[in-house]
Amino acid sequence: MTPHDACGTVGPRIRLGIAGGLSFAQPPGSLLHPWLMPNPGPVSSAPADRDLVAQAAGGDERSIGRLYDRYATVLYTVAYRITGQRADAEEVVIESFAQAWRDAGRFEPGRSSVAGWLTMIARSRALDLVRARSRRERITETAAADHPDAPLAMGSWRGDPADALDRSERRRQVLVALEELSPPQRQAIELAFFEGLSQSEIATRLNEPLGTVKTRVRLGMQKLRAALRPFFFEQGR
Amino acid sequence: MSTPDESSPRDLAAAYALGALSPEDARAFEAFLATSAEARQEVAELRETAALLALSAPETQPGAALRARVLDAVAATKVRPLPARTLAASFAVQRWTPLLWGALAASLAVAVGLGIQSWRLAGELARRTADLAERDSTIAQQMRTLADQGQQLAARDSTLASLLSPGVELIQLTASGDPDPRIQLFWDRRHNTAVLHASKLKPVPRGRTYQLWFIKDGKPVPSVTFGVAPAGEALISRVAVPSEGLVSAAAVTEEPEGGSPQPTTPILLVGALPKS
Repeated sequence: MTPHDACGTVGPRIRLGIAGGLSFAQPPGSLLHPWLMPNPGPVSSAPADRDLVAQAAGGDERSIGRLYDRYATVLYTVAYRITGQRADAEEVVIESFAQAWRDAGRFEPGRSSVAGWLTMIARSRALDLVRARSRRERITETAAADHPDAPLAMGSWRGDPADALDRSERRRQVLVALEELSPPQRQAIELAFFEGLSQSEIATRLNEPLGTVKTRVRLGMQKLRAALRPFFFEQGR
Repeated sequence: MSTPDESSPRDLAAAYALGALSPEDARAFEAFLATSAEARQEVAELRETAALLALSAPETQPGAALRARVLDAVAATKVRPLPARTLAASFAVQRWTPLLWGALAASLAVAVGLGIQSWRLAGELARRTADLAERDSTIAQQMRTLADQGQQLAARDSTLASLLSPGVELIQLTASGDPDPRIQLFWDRRHNTAVLHASKLKPVPRGRTYQLWFIKDGKPVPSVTFGVAPAGEALISRVAVPSEGLVSAAAVTEEPEGGSPQPTTPILLVGALPKS
């Protein structure tokens, strides 16, 4: 899949709402096409992510179902990317939502978006699983293996189409931003994120000086941060 | 705020957000983070950035049955979620009015100073942690020594058990009836083994050893060699006793190190084995 495949011809709604669904403010100098301008105001009456987490913290299990509908694909995607196995990825998603349920009361909206929080939980659980099963060697170069070999099962779950459009637009922006990095910067960041390697381990893996790796991670992440700030899952400010 | 220089702890923010710091560096960075709202905001954004990297993977869809499994797992979680925390604490910085920005600016300089101090303290903490790890290593070594000693004790217990088992006969090997030096041979006929206990034997010269012989059918059969502790003591367990033929006596000579197939020196101690 190319970065553009998923965009289709329909302008996606970019739901970056915090409580009440704030509209997405177009960044100055954005290269977004006009038809990608987000709708002003709330896009739906659906509860904001953080409200769902608050409900989960209050013991409402249905809120986890709502969060699943919104983010299961993202969590499953990162879990599958890290573990390389459908069964493992499913286990990770189950554990991640169970952890979110347990930890909902500790969620701090000022530190993270709900989607970012859930995604990082899934990443951690997936890396734990891979480490526990000593399957690091399964993971190859991150830029490669663009096509998962496992076909979609019949009856694969498909979430809300609007969420899918939001996701595909974000994905496009992430891929564009990654393209802007130097290949070594991208490689170092992807080794850290998808393989859970420390900077020292990356330096060893690439046979590069530690200082060089540190610089690549720092500059690469700062560049990504600047490029992707308008596309954060949820604007926390 | 000025751009952090190369040695600033804030340089670690990106790696921290990616989880790419060593545990020591991560702890040190967290100490710094506790002092800097600005750094916390930076880390929050970098974590959001990192989370978006998940989208760079080829999108894959979970199976339709997964949703029910997730909800089952949630329902099965007996631990009730913690009560929701109010948002106020988390948004303290963001809710400050413009009037407070001056105070914030003034305090930031202090905060950064504190941060650097924390950074140093964290370094000290890391060093002490390393010291502690070294002590742990020493303790582990001592535990291994203790385990070795435990094994030795178990071996002695085993020896004692074989001394006390039924049917064991005690044979005294002496030098012409002299009580010193003396060797006691605890002979377990059922298992054709013996435990040798020597006392008050003179230490042998370098390159020499004591050797035990069994006299079978009138001929010496070589057995174990042994030295003695400075006090003249020795304890050898599981000495094999010839199982066939008539074993009439046991004797000890002094031999070259490694032992001899035939005695090369006169018998030092001897004792008769009773017939069965």
